[in-house]
Amino acid sequence: MGYVLEARALRKRFGTVQAVDGVDVLVGAGERVSLLGPNGAGKTTTLLMLLGAITPDEGTIEIAGHRLPKSRSKAMGHVGFAAGYLPLPDRLRVREALGVFAGLYGLADHEAAVAAGLERFKVGHLAERMCNELSSGQRTLVGIVKAVLHKPALLVLDEPTASLDPDVAQRVRAGLLDVCSDGTALLLTSHDMREVEQLTERVVFLAGGKVVANASPAEIAADYGHDDLEGVFLHLAGVAIHPEDEL
Amino acid sequence: MNGIRVKTIVRRHAYVLWRSPNRWFDIAFWPLMDVLLWGSLGTYIARSNGTSQAGATYLLAGIVMFHILFQTQIALNTGFMEETWSRNLLNMMVTPVTETEYVTGVGVFGLLKLVLALITLSITAMVFFGFNLSSEGWGLLPIALILLVSGWAIAFVVIGLMLRFGQSAEILAWGINFVVMAVSGVFNPIDAIPGVLQPLARLLPTTHAFIALRQLLDGGGVPWDQIVLGIIGSIVGLALSIAYVVHMLHVFRRRGFVTRFS
Repeated sequence: MGYVLEARALRKRFGTVQAVDGVDVLVGAGERVSLLGPNGAGKTTTLLMLLGAITPDEGTIEIAGHRLPKSRSKAMGHVGFAAGYLPLPDRLRVREALGVFAGLYGLADHEAAVAAGLERFKVGHLAERMCNELSSGQRTLVGIVKAVLHKPALLVLDEPTASLDPDVAQRVRAGLLDVCSDGTALLLTSHDMREVEQLTERVVFLAGGKVVANASPAEIAADYGHDDLEGVFLHLAGVAIHPEDEL
Repeated sequence: MNGIRVKTIVRRHAYVLWRSPNRWFDIAFWPLMDVLLWGSLGTYIARSNGTSQAGATYLLAGIVMFHILFQTQIALNTGFMEETWSRNLLNMMVTPVTETEYVTGVGVFGLLKLVLALITLSITAMVFFGFNLSSEGWGLLPIALILLVSGWAIAFVVIGLMLRFGQSAEILAWGINFVVMAVSGVFNPIDAIPGVLQPLARLLPTTHAFIALRQLLDGGGVPWDQIVLGIIGSIVGLALSIAYVVHMLHVFRRRGFVTRFS
């Protein structure tokens, strides 16, 4: 299988804390994968390493055949990233901010790319709004538009629907499935297990900085004897937090 | 180096300047106030002592040329700080833009701001005090170059400190040039500053730039000895500051400091 993201044996320690301990994350072209785990499991550190923002102590990362950190610029040309906590820059209109990112991705006709992106998520009416005046739902939608402007091979989303109303969250999920139908691979973190089941085909579950499960949501649920992923999450998260409680 | 990305960085900061009246203080208000303050002081001293206008000329020429250093440094530093203030640093880091392209874009934008500030300074000095620095001719260019390069070097050191220590190091962006102003003898020969600081002053390329400026104003021709010392010092300073900021960027990525800004 050709991997768009191939990260192997990642390790990261902060002081006395081993945040990530030998994690592999492999995402095939067009595959939809979620990275799950309780708070402190090492998800964010892993994501930031995959994005080149944190240097791993050990391990290798390749995106679309480009090795980090040496070919970071080329690798990032194939990645789109958005997070619920990450706003677009203040003092810019939505159209301008998206135009800036289109330029950074090297798109020659950034106005057309911005218009198409806004239209895809049905937020064209926000084009002239100031970024700092958007609601959290609007900010999330515009952030995802930013992440897919350049039709990336890999879309990385960190809790994209956190704090969104159910209807807006559903719109985001529909938009993401539409984006992925073009062959874009997805790597997602979320605390919404139904969202994970709806959006992704495979789950990489982290606990204590290690991969403790790596299979489809249904397979993981069956392996752990639960009806759905939520039960597995509670089970694995509970084990991770209180390992002595596991019988 | 990708030209589209560099141009995009310039555009990104132009939007911010256009929408931020407070940023116009750097290029319109403070230069105006500086010329008024130092020009008035020089004129008063000249009248009190019954001497020539040379004192006012030193002060005005000093403040105009100091703004080259200040504007260059503050533009690069506020460019970086803008990404931290708007929590946009992580957004930037996960695009293909390279550190070199980013710094080039902010540097080019800083040069545009410098031109605007120099226009303000020149017009104000001419209108209020009949002072025209450009009459000193081409000899000003190498002096300006030393100050430009020194401004970039100082800015890189401040960015390195912000990468390492976070937003608490921002205060240096606003204050560090006033240390340089005092120690480099912007308005006065360095034998007038405390003796303990004079060896430090002689090490700074900015000191040699301002010595050269005063010699030029005194009609002694272009003082190449001072200019060569200043150019060498500023290039060495720039190289060291780039090495420092690259090291700090490495530390920033290794220790995961990006989470401070997102």
